[in-house]
Amino acid sequence: MASVHSYNVRICHWVNVVACAYLLVSGVHILLDFPELYWGHTGYRGYPAVFRLSDWGLSWEAAGAIGDRRWGRNSHFTVAWVFLINGLVYVGWNIYSRHFRDHMLPASQGSYGTLQKASYLILIFVYVPLMILTGIAQSPGFTAAMPVLLDMFGGRQSARTLHTIGTVALLFFVGVHVVQVARSGFVSNLRSMITGK
Amino acid sequence: MVKHISRRALLTSMPALGGLFLTGCTRETFVPPRVRGGLTGAADVLTMSTNRLLLSRQQLAREYRRSDVADPFPTWNQTNPRNAEYQRHLSERFRNWRLPVSGLVGRPTELSLDEIRSLPARTQITAHVCEQGWSAIGEWTGTPLQGVLDAAGGVTPAARYVVVDTYDGWYEGYDLFEVAHPQTILAYGLNGRDLPTGNGAPLRLRVERQCGYKQLKFVRSIKVADSMAGFGKGTGGINSDFGFHWFAGV
Repeated sequence: MASVHSYNVRICHWVNVVACAYLLVSGVHILLDFPELYWGHTGYRGYPAVFRLSDWGLSWEAAGAIGDRRWGRNSHFTVAWVFLINGLVYVGWNIYSRHFRDHMLPASQGSYGTLQKASYLILIFVYVPLMILTGIAQSPGFTAAMPVLLDMFGGRQSARTLHTIGTVALLFFVGVHVVQVARSGFVSNLRSMITGK
Repeated sequence: MVKHISRRALLTSMPALGGLFLTGCTRETFVPPRVRGGLTGAADVLTMSTNRLLLSRQQLAREYRRSDVADPFPTWNQTNPRNAEYQRHLSERFRNWRLPVSGLVGRPTELSLDEIRSLPARTQITAHVCEQGWSAIGEWTGTPLQGVLDAAGGVTPAARYVVVDTYDGWYEGYDLFEVAHPQTILAYGLNGRDLPTGNGAPLRLRVERQCGYKQLKFVRSIKVADSMAGFGKGTGGINSDFGFHWFAGV
């Protein structure tokens, strides 16, 4: 039986699921509109690419016809705030309530395995900040304020490529997460994340 | 002790905020001309005000080395407006072209390309960042937009936006904080040569802390206004009329 989840954990979890789904779909729309990835500070159509969707059977024109970057950008940059604020509430509350210390640190009690706890902590404190930073490292406004963002990832185009790789990595994490939930009792896990019981 | 630290923190944060107030910090510095409805509008305001607070000292966008430049510089969207007036100026190599600067300025004026070139010049090697995802570095040479407005007697106290319109039918409004930035220039040169037609000859705006769609090409006129209500659909620019972000810092 999974440990009882607090209101905070349950609400933040489901807000996060919806936010991440929006971020994923809107991000794919943005990418489809310009379906090439580059490394360094420079990248444009005709410049040597590290990834081209056309190599995988979807032509530039076909990808552009699917991708709606207006909806994509409006959604991505709206939901990014929801994701950020939700994440800050989650982290802030769980530091305050000692949830992290008592249940999430690898040496703590609680029903998760050490590897499982470590992977959640890495997700929250390493992966998510890196996704936020590679996201804003593409922004002309944020990089003017914090030029270090350009140096951290080797350039704006590198940041865009890493942001995309990070998205694929998240899909992998979500896949493992859902399999784990399913293997340890899908219905009871889902119920405990919704009702807390 | 606690009181002492907070007072010091307050004092050290003052120069940063001072930058905003010196450049005429108004509601327009933080909020788009027309705030959209719902969560999207709230996010627009959060994004713009966060950017403006972080950039309150008018920091410069990264400037690169000459060897980073893309030459030839990529062209995108309109590369040669079919507008008859534009074609005439192009065939005359812009000898008879004039830039009208009107609206809420001390003395509305018209400037020839030579007059614009005789104003203080600035060369900057910066990244052009398209909202679609591509970016390329170019060496832009031009004159600060603020200087052009000063040449027209400066803006009046009621001024809030500088509206640029172009030969390919685009227009965009820029708040005075963006206009006052040293890298906000009207560029007539690219990579050491005259600005090519495909990149916006005779004049293109550079607003280095925003995305490509705010860097209007083929500049036709400049108007200073107290509101964006009378322009297009009133959202502040052609891109936001079409539903894109007005503040394109992300």
